Amino acid sequence: MNLLRLALVFGKIGAVVFGGGFVMIPFIQREVVQHYGWLTQQQFVDAIALGQITPGPILISATFIGYKVQGLTGAVVATLAVFLPSFLMTALAARQMMRLRRNPRVAGFIRGVLPAVVAMLLVAAITIARSTVWFDWRLLFLVVVSLILLVRYKVDAVYVVVGSGIAGFLLER
Amino acid sequence: MSAEAAVTLNPGAPSLSRLARVMLKVGATGFGMGMVGVLQQEVVTRRSWLTQEEFADGLALANLLPGPIAVDVAVYVGYRLRGWIGATLCLLALLVPAFAIMLGLTIAYLHYGQVPQLHGAFKGLNAAVVALVLSVAYRIGKSSLKSAAQASLALVALAAAFLHANLVVLVLACGLVGALLLHPRPEAATP
Repeated sequence: MNLLRLALVFGKIGAVVFGGGFVMIPFIQREVVQHYGWLTQQQFVDAIALGQITPGPILISATFIGYKVQGLTGAVVATLAVFLPSFLMTALAARQMMRLRRNPRVAGFIRGVLPAVVAMLLVAAITIARSTVWFDWRLLFLVVVSLILLVRYKVDAVYVVVGSGIAGFLLER
Repeated sequence: MSAEAAVTLNPGAPSLSRLARVMLKVGATGFGMGMVGVLQQEVVTRRSWLTQEEFADGLALANLLPGPIAVDVAVYVGYRLRGWIGATLCLLALLVPAFAIMLGLTIAYLHYGQVPQLHGAFKGLNAAVVALVLSVAYRIGKSSLKSAAQASLALVALAAAFLHANLVVLVLACGLVGALLLHPRPEAATP
């Protein structure tokens, strides 16, 4: 049953995206692209780019994937499933706030998770790059320019995405 | 509805419809992490529904828990102001604009994404996505890889991820290592 599987996959991803929405990228790539083949690598990267130019959380890319798999129902199910775990945890933890923050084990857990998140993001970046920009020096150059704008000049991600789209369009003409 | 007045958690709490309207606005005008800024402006600066300290608590909580930071903070705000109903309402109101816009873009993409004139634009988007993922890795790495132990953990995780380890197991295992070995000790509390 596709719908149930969709809910389970996105629910699982929603429960482990420590460190913000971007952390979904390695998980979605592994599950949705490589394991289930619901999306091609290209569609997956485009889904992330579209999520980036849409207001709201990046995780809204789940809507794209759900729609691709099972139409409007799939879009609703994937979107709700991906946000449900953190919704429940946040509301439950809002009561326990102070205790949770002072617990050294909880702090230690996060200190251990974040290095893994960095590693997974690097692997995801390399995997995406190898299937898209690896063999075109102009696109690699665009990656470097975008990275400098994002990290050094703290340009908003929306502008970088739109600007890169326009640059790619002009390069190809 | 009379029940609405009964569940009010504190006297200064906004009505559910006002809360929903503010969250719709945040969802429609904030992008990614930018939503946190819009949220703070609306909830703390403009309306004083929460104090700066209460809001900062929500932000700290969101950093501890999985999920997008801004969504977690919005749920926290909703819960603090109006309990479970407020939390649910905030989540849904925050997502409705993004969902509608993303759905429109998805349908347009699946219909027109193959138009040859747009190929170049999508190639450009690929480059932006690679740069974005790297920039997030850099940002999280800079703030979290502060000790040799954490750097080694990152290297082990890097090798494991390259070798196609199960990512859920990987994240939880690294968290466990952290809880056992990296937790702050009372004697080493000073940074």
